Amino acid sequence: MGKKKSVALIVLVTVVLLGLLFISITPTFPVKTPYSFQSLLNSVRLGADLGGGYGAVYYPEGVISAEEYAGEVARYENGEGTDPTEQYVAHGGVYLDSEKVLDENGEVLESFRTEFETAYRVFKQRFEDKNFTEYSFWIEDDYTIRVEVSDVSDLETVSDMFSILSYSGELYFSDTDTSTNSKNVLMTAGSEHISGVSVMDGGDSGFVVALKLTKAGREKFAEITETLSSSSSSDSSSSSSATLYLYMGTDVLMSMSVSSTLDQDVVYIGGTTSSGSVAYPTRESAETVACVIRSALNEEDVFSLDLQPQVYSYGATMGEHAALIIAVVFGVAVLAMLVFSLVRYKGMGLAHVYGFFTYALIFILCLAFVQGIAVNIAGVFAILLSAAMMVGFNYYAFRNIRKEFYTGKTLTSAIKSGYRKSLAVTIDTHIILFIASLVLYLISLGSAQYMALIFLIGTVISAACTLAVTRFYLYMFLAQPKNKIAFCNFRREETEDE
Amino acid sequence: MNKLLSKKGLIVCLTVAILIIVAGAFVAGFVGYNADSTGRNYSSVEVTDAGYSVSDVQDRFVEFCKAEIEKTYAVSDVKVTQTYTTGGMVFTYYVDGTPDRAFCDQLETSIAGCTIEGVNGSLVSVTFHEGKNLGYYNYMWRTAVGAAVAFVLLFAYVAIRFRLGMGVTVLIAGVHDAAVVLAVVALVRLPVSPALAGVGAFALLLSALLNLLVFGRMRSDLRTDEFKGKSAAEAVSESVRNARPTVLLVSVIAAAFVAVFAVVGAFIGFDMTSVMVSALFAVLAATYSSLVLSPALYALIKEKWDAKRAQKAKYNFASEKKKKEDAPAEVAGEIR
Repeated sequence: MGKKKSVALIVLVTVVLLGLLFISITPTFPVKTPYSFQSLLNSVRLGADLGGGYGAVYYPEGVISAEEYAGEVARYENGEGTDPTEQYVAHGGVYLDSEKVLDENGEVLESFRTEFETAYRVFKQRFEDKNFTEYSFWIEDDYTIRVEVSDVSDLETVSDMFSILSYSGELYFSDTDTSTNSKNVLMTAGSEHISGVSVMDGGDSGFVVALKLTKAGREKFAEITETLSSSSSSDSSSSSSATLYLYMGTDVLMSMSVSSTLDQDVVYIGGTTSSGSVAYPTRESAETVACVIRSALNEEDVFSLDLQPQVYSYGATMGEHAALIIAVVFGVAVLAMLVFSLVRYKGMGLAHVYGFFTYALIFILCLAFVQGIAVNIAGVFAILLSAAMMVGFNYYAFRNIRKEFYTGKTLTSAIKSGYRKSLAVTIDTHIILFIASLVLYLISLGSAQYMALIFLIGTVISAACTLAVTRFYLYMFLAQPKNKIAFCNFRREETEDE
Repeated sequence: MNKLLSKKGLIVCLTVAILIIVAGAFVAGFVGYNADSTGRNYSSVEVTDAGYSVSDVQDRFVEFCKAEIEKTYAVSDVKVTQTYTTGGMVFTYYVDGTPDRAFCDQLETSIAGCTIEGVNGSLVSVTFHEGKNLGYYNYMWRTAVGAAVAFVLLFAYVAIRFRLGMGVTVLIAGVHDAAVVLAVVALVRLPVSPALAGVGAFALLLSALLNLLVFGRMRSDLRTDEFKGKSAAEAVSESVRNARPTVLLVSVIAAAFVAVFAVVGAFIGFDMTSVMVSALFAVLAATYSSLVLSPALYALIKEKWDAKRAQKAKYNFASEKKKKEDAPAEVAGEIR
């Protein structure tokens, strides 16, 4: 590489890296009221352990909280309502309605108990299906359910998510809207008619929920859509399409416009609503609906208990500033590592510094922009492991170059054979770790899955930066110094002949 | 660490590891893991403040309530949450013991009489709860299945690209490391969250990385003429010595980070310390297995296979002599 070309490249790479560094790690500062600059690190989604999340306490119908009971007492004292001391019985920290929950002996009704057991089993399944980075699930005071999940507020409306996941009752298609109490059931939507549910990318119209119909389901769905489309076209007063609702109990899960007969194996529901907004703008919002439908396909999992969530937010479970402290520790350690590299390997260390910055900045870009990434404490391990791998393999290559050089080879030849010597193990290790993390990502759930995704990305970036980028930087810098051997912190003893 | 473990030493190490794994599996299976704050059963006193106090007042109020509760129950943790709809604050005090309505009424009276400026006692209500946590079986099982498939692929890849013996060793080392970490965490009753699945995955990946660093070096070393004349133990031992700086570098980087985070956790939240200590076990297990266990195991396998190969290639004097003795007669017969 020529000197001029090398200078131009050094300047260009330095400017790009500094620019990326600025937008990646600069602390938030106001730009123009009410706007402020947010760094890429700030936009990385965090798990509940590092960034907090949301929780909800679900009260079944007939069970009220102590606060609500106090409200009832106050109402009664103001001359409104019935005497709560007669209607409710204290049970731990909650109050049970003697008419709805208790029998004449003051014991909890067996039917209520069974319904509640089914409800929390199905609930748990729905929350596991949602695959949060973390979630915790408790039965509180015997008859309420407390759930805590990681922060999903940038992906879907939190209150809607908690409400939808608590829907109860049977799943069915109807053409009756919510204003009418008695619903006209056109088709039940249990396992008899639906064999599976998935979420698919609908392009510009957001995400769609795909209902896979059984043979009987397909026939029945074609029949009801034919009836609906023909009735809507014959009714000149209304628009040319009818609306088909998918209900769970008394709540509408989804709705779709029907203008023709739909005789197909898979029905896609989503797109835009009548108000023009996208029904499911994110995969997570569609996944919430899909989880609820999936849980209702098994008839044994259908329950009718009405559960009302009381939603709250909470801070990082690992400490208030856990994420910030982790970032600072990483920063300090990276700085120490870079200083060590420069002192130990000089010119090669400089190439490593540039290579590591490239690696770190691309990693931050991926963490900020790749959909579905959330950094929790296991993700921190993944980042740490992949960074250690990148540093380890660069040093391994440098050590091989040094060894080759001291066998008497020229610097260029030593660099070539040093890299060649470390190539096989570097490629093999990256490939096998890529495969292992891909398998973990595809099969596991929760924190291990999120960790695997981060490590997967880290492995790819580490491979590219170790095998190509750092080596390229090394050649770029080597074009500059007069004494290239001293630049690489090598010494060559000169013989008398020389 | 210059010398490899002897066969006896290896058997002792593997036996100890198996005992730890069995004991850990027993404890995890019958008693369960010790859950951290995100997964434990609890008794709590919940103070709801519908008023809006500034952060300084809030801190003083939290301390006041804590002091009042501690007169009767030991408080293990305090959690602050905010109601989504009203914005009211809820302070949950996790206590040892089972509070009741009478205690909550008494606390409400104390709060009503508190003199912290900015706190309106009439807007504060106190209640108590008992929560029973339900486990994360699906998360755990899916991760275990994922890890099992990863182990099989790891074995297959190393067996094909390196040597079969190395594949077997990497597989044993990976299972050893992940299982020992999970077992030790169960045995020492370290509080854990669902992140333990992540720690298990970390142990697997780190073990694979460090072992591949050792076997990668060994693969290239064993091809050289210098190593061909050496015995299996000597060759493996010398090759491990060559790979050791890189392995130690990666291990030290990982261990240093994890140790710093563990110390930081002691100040900001014990959950972080406990998960970091589990990760430290993973780093130690992977380093030990890559530098001590795997080389000794592979040397043993290599020694056996080398002996077998030598046996096959060996010149069998007795059978050759017999062949030669029989041959002239046959040849003569042919001539005749």
